[in-house]
Amino acid sequence: MSLTPASYRHRLPLSLSVAAVVTAVSMALALGLQTLDNLREDQGRNALRLGHAMSEILVQALLHDDVWLAYSLLRGPEKDAADATWILIDAGQRIFASNRPERFRLDQSLEAALPWLPVAAFSPDAPAPALVRSIAPQDDGTRRVLRLTLASEGGPVGELIALLSDRPFLARFREILVGGVLVTAAVLAVMLPAGWLWGRRMASPLMQLAACMARVGTEDARQLRCQIPESDSEIGQLGRQFSAMLAALAEKGALEQQMLQAERLAAVGRVAAGVAHEVNNPLGGMLMAIDTYRQGQVLDARTARLLDLIDRALQQIRGSVSALLVEARGDSRTLAPTDLEDVRTLVQPRLARSSVRLDWNMGLASALDLPAAPVRQLLLNLLLNAIDAAEPGGAVRVEAGIDGGQLAVRVENSGRPIPAEQLAHLFEPYPEQRPHAQGLGLWICYQIVSQLGGQIRVASSAERTGFQVELPLGTEEAP
Amino acid sequence: MLTRRDLLRALGLLGISPVGCHDAIAAREAENPVVGARPALRFGLTPVILDDRVAFLRLWASWLERQLGRPVVFIQRARYREIMDLLLRGGLDLAWICGYPYVQHRWELSLIAVPRFQGQPKYRSYIIVGADSPFTALRDLEGGLFAWSDPDSNSGYLYPRVALLEQGQDPDRFFRRTFFTWGHRHAVEAVAEGLADGAAVDSYVWETLARRVPELTGQTRIILRSPLFGFPPLAGAPGLVPTDLQAIRQVLLRQDQDPIGRQLLDELNLDGFAPAEPGLFDDIAAMAARLDAGRRT
Repeated sequence: MSLTPASYRHRLPLSLSVAAVVTAVSMALALGLQTLDNLREDQGRNALRLGHAMSEILVQALLHDDVWLAYSLLRGPEKDAADATWILIDAGQRIFASNRPERFRLDQSLEAALPWLPVAAFSPDAPAPALVRSIAPQDDGTRRVLRLTLASEGGPVGELIALLSDRPFLARFREILVGGVLVTAAVLAVMLPAGWLWGRRMASPLMQLAACMARVGTEDARQLRCQIPESDSEIGQLGRQFSAMLAALAEKGALEQQMLQAERLAAVGRVAAGVAHEVNNPLGGMLMAIDTYRQGQVLDARTARLLDLIDRALQQIRGSVSALLVEARGDSRTLAPTDLEDVRTLVQPRLARSSVRLDWNMGLASALDLPAAPVRQLLLNLLLNAIDAAEPGGAVRVEAGIDGGQLAVRVENSGRPIPAEQLAHLFEPYPEQRPHAQGLGLWICYQIVSQLGGQIRVASSAERTGFQVELPLGTEEAP
Repeated sequence: MLTRRDLLRALGLLGISPVGCHDAIAAREAENPVVGARPALRFGLTPVILDDRVAFLRLWASWLERQLGRPVVFIQRARYREIMDLLLRGGLDLAWICGYPYVQHRWELSLIAVPRFQGQPKYRSYIIVGADSPFTALRDLEGGLFAWSDPDSNSGYLYPRVALLEQGQDPDRFFRRTFFTWGHRHAVEAVAEGLADGAAVDSYVWETLARRVPELTGQTRIILRSPLFGFPPLAGAPGLVPTDLQAIRQVLLRQDQDPIGRQLLDELNLDGFAPAEPGLFDDIAAMAARLDAGRRT
């Protein structure tokens, strides 16, 4: 297991939490150390002030040999709680008074009491300035020493020494630290969940994107519906790029599908045409042979009946085969608006029978450069299909118009949608799903449109199914 | 840390009072215009008693004022000698002084009354050491630090010196170092806080402290109890008018019969006041003579 979690879902909030903890701890430490420094400085300054304040009376005590006066001044009102250890020494470098009388005995020599303290040279001319000096920490906790020379009429009579340690305010310092830790903990108790939530929120668009990307390739790009983060951040940009990529993928898929279908239909068309030709040739021969035979002989009734039977069967074969062969360019007559109106008239009986309402919108004013017969057949087939599909009481809507150099025809009907699996094979001859129908209507439509160089599309939703046909004008030749 | 209180305390130790005693008198007279007709009775106090209880002294002064019909002013000094100087030079009408200075000036001073302590007008000197110290006798303190109460104190100076003389010791060399604490209470503190190895204190002050501040005396231990001596007396100034002296004596002798006076005596940890003859202090006089002789030889 790796020390750093892999997912940003954990890494982000964790980083935020660690940053919060580190900040809080370093703040508390810095504040604590600063406070300790300030406390030490204050202690030194207070000791200096106190030493100066006491110096005059201590000089008197030294001059009058009044131990009690010096002691009662040094011990102050606090006694044990005093901040510093005060030692008054006389001119003979012997202890005269201290607020720690048991430790620093009266009349003890300073050297014996504080061996580490350098002997101060008493110089009558220039008494040493009173200073608080830091020293190497001693066993008793002394870290700083104040030395104040006491002089009377210019002559030194003694020295006041204060031993300063951190002990008096260590408790306070500890309180400050504990307070800092508690406040930090309280802040963290609020910050951590907030940071965690925030981190998760920041990471969630990445999660969405990652989840969505994981589906690419396993699912159809056109059906892929992903929640893409929307923001101006880099993640938002990434999301938009990703959506664009998905859209391109879907388009490509649709195009491929369409091409595949077109190729399949073209192949089917070629096969049908080929078969029709192969069948038609011997068929023509056979029919001709029967005809010749009829004219050349006197037939008995039985033979004549037999020949009639064969003739009708062969005619039927020819009819079926030529139904597969659509010849769109055979007609040279151009399409007039009346051709379309004819179609409307032709379907009236069917409409009446099915009680389907027709909504007819024709935006054509003049003749178009399109062969009339195939377009009539195309419209008729689509319209009959639509009336079939629209259940009784339904409606069919037809629209036609010129749009950018091509004739656009749209036929819509209400009713049940066409299932997706049927849509893929809708234009093939004899579709499996509609065995009861004759099965060549849409195939013929497709052939006509293809031969006229146009396009036919179908779209089916829950309420409407629509066929959209676009036929280019004035293009005699299609590839 | 030093506070203003500490400085005031330091000033007080030097005997510099922020309010002069004459101002105090004037203030008292202004407060009591009825009794202001006669001049105030100036009553000197020394640290033979616990003289640091201002509220109590005020109550006692007002009780005395009512009894005497004249203002009473307590005048306190840190050292016995200052009170003695005031008393001998007419600065005081009477003072509560120690038996030692009394016997030194007994021909000039008149004896007004002697307090009765534990049933008799007598007290002792205690030699005390720290409660945890190993000392058990006076001679153990040789070469130590010793605190005297006051050079004019019998229990805190005269007796221990004579006791040392009697043991064949030179009181000036027996200890390594000695100092004065200017008060019995301070001497107890000096021993309790370890400043001194031993001290000589007034038994009355020690016992009173033991009743009132047992945690202080608990840090000390008595290693020597002196014989009984005459209790520090109330002495009249050389110029004290006999009628005044009699009046004061009558008030003091009857104080234990007055309910308020009784309470005040309880506060003082005394039974009352008794008339006294100068002979009560003969022992002290003898010791003083002995010390003088020792000095001269």
